[in-house]
Amino acid sequence: MILPEADELLAPVMAIDGFRLGCLIDGSTGMVLASLGSQNGPASPTAAAGAADVINVLNLLNGRLATGEHLEDVMVTFSDSFFMVRPVRRDQRPPILLLVIMDRQRTNLAMAHRSIRDFCASFTS
Amino acid sequence: MSQVTRRTRVRRLADSVWPGRAVDGYANLIAARLRKLAAAESTGMLPVSGRGDGAIFFRRGQVVYAESSRTPSPDKRTVGLAALGLVPEDDAREAAVGAPTAGAQLLPLPSLRQLTSMLALTEPTIDAITELLSNESRYAKFRQSDLPPVAQMGPIPVEMALAEVERRRQVLRQLAPIVAADTPVVRDAARESPSFQVSAPQWALLIRVGDGTTPRALAMSLGQSVFGTMIEIYRLLALGLLAVPGHLSALGGGLDGPGGGRRPGAVMSFMRAVANAGGGDERGSDA
Repeated sequence: MILPEADELLAPVMAIDGFRLGCLIDGSTGMVLASLGSQNGPASPTAAAGAADVINVLNLLNGRLATGEHLEDVMVTFSDSFFMVRPVRRDQRPPILLLVIMDRQRTNLAMAHRSIRDFCASFTS
Repeated sequence: MSQVTRRTRVRRLADSVWPGRAVDGYANLIAARLRKLAAAESTGMLPVSGRGDGAIFFRRGQVVYAESSRTPSPDKRTVGLAALGLVPEDDAREAAVGAPTAGAQLLPLPSLRQLTSMLALTEPTIDAITELLSNESRYAKFRQSDLPPVAQMGPIPVEMALAEVERRRQVLRQLAPIVAADTPVVRDAARESPSFQVSAPQWALLIRVGDGTTPRALAMSLGQSVFGTMIEIYRLLALGLLAVPGHLSALGGGLDGPGGGRRPGAVMSFMRAVANAGGGDERGSDA
């Protein structure tokens, strides 16, 4: 993470039950800005790069479909974990993405979704 | 007081390096030099010359700023974190008078605006280092007296900066068969595009491309990072809104139409770049 001073920004998402990893990513370059995670958790550079790829592909899809919609978030379910990626604010330039990885057995997905949405909403100037 | 600009001074310093040492793989020697400066907790400036001129500034062994003549400098409105109130007052005062600080401790960031302000300083620095660490670059004598031209930005450990530069070079290698920073791109007027949705930054690029320009020229005119501009250009190529003359519809045509263009071996992937950057020995990877 290139802005380690910004790690503290992610402290609120650590309160989510089952939290494993949180990252702030510059969506335009794929650079990890800040990262906070439990020990022995997923590797943040790989997870962040994968999240940036997913958002890139979905933005290309949206660009081609041209429905006038915008991407709010992406939820991915693995056998043991949930991945959630969300742009922290619409029209933010550069686009900053929040990636949160959670333990599937310990996380209430609806509550986590709400927490992440609220976090992004509060994470504004 | 000297009337010579800082960039001219950097060029003169770098020109003093033995020209015979500018050989392939020299970027690895620059990286090694950066690691030595970090180990020695140096404060000062390392002039670098090659395809472009530039310098990397250190404070207590960490990178605090870099600039290259081939990448945009930070926006003139960006005056450092001190002006944003993100550094303790004493540190800001020391930085303003150009004295090395003992700690330069950053305060916790409360908002997205301040995070993006930090990024506005960091991105041009990483962009410049990526450019400066090329095969054709060579460094000059480290100047302990030279201090960063901006008040202060978040210090970046050298290893972290080098890892990010290596990741970017892996991305650029993926893009190389499709587009490079100095490859001319044009709007794909021949392509029928009934409706497409682009972001504001993509639109800003589209309206400036016209009959042909390069990603670097666009980045310089917009004051944006060359690397970030390359990624957006790639996305516009993928959407079929831009083309590279000579192989039109380098990406979109291969997907949509027979004979419309060549299909790239693989699409750009940040994850593959991370895997490639981490898979080899970072210190020994080619430049």
